[in-house]
Amino acid sequence: MNGAAAATDLLSEASLTALATAGPVDVVAGVHVANQAGRVVEWLDALARSLAEGAPSRRAAVLVADAGSRDATPDLARGWCDSAAAPAERAWLDVIAPRHRARAILGLLAAAQHMGARAMVLLDADLAGVDDGRLSALLEPVLQGEADYVSPAYSRTIAEGTLTTNLLAPLTGALYGGRLQQVMGGCAGLAGAAIGSWLKDGTGAGEWQPHGAELWLTTTALATGARIAEVALGRKLVAPAEPPPDLASILVRTVGPLFALMEQYGAVWPERAPGATVARRGDPPEIQVDARAPAVEQMVHAFDLGLKDLLPVWEQIMPEETLVRLYPLGLLATDEFGLPARLWARIVSDFAVAYHERLLPRDHLLRALTPLYLGRVAAFILETRATPLGRIPQALEAIDRAFETEKHHLVARWR
Amino acid sequence: MRHQWADILITSFRDVVDRLVAFAPRLLAVLTLVLAGWVVAAVARRLALRILRVADIDGRCARWGITAALGHTGTRRQPSALVGQLVFWLIFLVGLLMAIEALGVPAAGDLVPVVMRLLPNVLVAVFVMVVGWLLANFLAQALLIFIVNARLSGGPILAAVVRWMILLFAASVALTQLGIAREMILLAFGIAFGGTVLALALAFGLGGRHLARSALESWLGKRAGRGPADISHL
Repeated sequence: MNGAAAATDLLSEASLTALATAGPVDVVAGVHVANQAGRVVEWLDALARSLAEGAPSRRAAVLVADAGSRDATPDLARGWCDSAAAPAERAWLDVIAPRHRARAILGLLAAAQHMGARAMVLLDADLAGVDDGRLSALLEPVLQGEADYVSPAYSRTIAEGTLTTNLLAPLTGALYGGRLQQVMGGCAGLAGAAIGSWLKDGTGAGEWQPHGAELWLTTTALATGARIAEVALGRKLVAPAEPPPDLASILVRTVGPLFALMEQYGAVWPERAPGATVARRGDPPEIQVDARAPAVEQMVHAFDLGLKDLLPVWEQIMPEETLVRLYPLGLLATDEFGLPARLWARIVSDFAVAYHERLLPRDHLLRALTPLYLGRVAAFILETRATPLGRIPQALEAIDRAFETEKHHLVARWR
Repeated sequence: MRHQWADILITSFRDVVDRLVAFAPRLLAVLTLVLAGWVVAAVARRLALRILRVADIDGRCARWGITAALGHTGTRRQPSALVGQLVFWLIFLVGLLMAIEALGVPAAGDLVPVVMRLLPNVLVAVFVMVVGWLLANFLAQALLIFIVNARLSGGPILAAVVRWMILLFAASVALTQLGIAREMILLAFGIAFGGTVLALALAFGLGGRHLARSALESWLGKRAGRGPADISHL
């Protein structure tokens, strides 16, 4: 499916007319909004100003799409788009149902391509602190022809983003060969020329929808061999519109799409050499100490309870070879608890294979990972407690290497 | 004396031959019906397999977790193959019944109507049991995972209770469908189900006060943003 076909497939006639009225542009800021009625107008005003300041000499447009709001956000955002056009063109995208985050992002990509944009910055309206500096950082590598996909890298504390540092990023890097700090960073810079080919892979009813659109975008960029750059953006500031779902649901919404994309790109990743670094702009992101010590005891308790009660389920997912390495961990006291990165990488690859072979209903399988993940987080926090701050990057790199080493086993078992 | 002996021999032989000659068409009809039943059943099985594969039943069953559930019972065949076998044996059974009817054996005379009357109910009962068994496993597993993820003890017991209650319910429906001791089954199920619910309520209220407290604390803790999920995972 080419870009024009994708646009007509995803966007209403009225939206296509609005895009035609806005005319061709150089730069697009594509925003997906959901349940942010309290602040969406101010947020969009600030974005339009930042875009005008960040790319002053270029014709720019702000495109807004709803990702499934249940409040007045769509009406407010539509009203903002219909108001005065300065300092940037504005267009509200009416995405054809079903309305969710993936359809909103795909609609924004299709619209940017439809408008012939050279560069696009994709933004989640949950992000706070989107200023001209950050927009420029995401757009510059694309506008200078150095990258097709620009991924953010954030300063963070040790225990921040443990699902990203211990699973999503290392597994993605091992599979597709690009070590990125963020695979779902809330924003990205994209080259207009590359969007069309990415949309070909994205407009079908992939199982990564509706929650894995950002992961799909990152994975597709890596899988298609796009030129990738990483830019340091400082701290990731978010003002979430809703409280986060429970941990098991977070795993379903993130690890599920990652495994689903492994099936979609099953012909690519087994052949890809793991662990290539990507071009980075700016200083390496800073790592800070956590202000409050995470509750490791509760995590170890969750792991122990899983080992005691969930074993019949795990036995359907993991082979005996993996399980025998888990049994002794149930005997360890909290302070001496450990779940090594190599074992963790093996567990994740066993779950990926079980997901692929449908050994269990997929929702059950992903939720059954929760106690194991908490065990790994506890082990990671305990490991890094004794590690000097300057050596934390090496500890994170060790996780990357564990997944890269494990890839041979994963490839051998994946049929 | 010699004539009488010869006559008896000849008469007996003639009677046997006459009976065999009279029975031969029936025997031929029986063999034909069995053979025809076999052929029609085999063709129907092949046809059913093709239709099921075109409809991607194996893929759908894999997606719905039915193949995995079957695999746990030691069944290695695909669901389409199982349905194909069922179609084969149903049609072949009808052929066999027709063959038995054609035999004209007085003792088997009442068998065919009885079997034909019971067969639909048996099929429905088997279907109810299979669906009940799949549902019981699915819901018990979902409950177990939910309880463990809520960091509560007693998950395996509660999951087993749910599994057996669903199986009990399915068995009651199946037996009622078969018309076996309908009133007794309904009464027994009512008593067993009500008793279990009451026992659980009492156990949770009296014996499981601590479990109830930890469940509420865990739930309220999550609502207040405490607990392991409190760290930022993404």
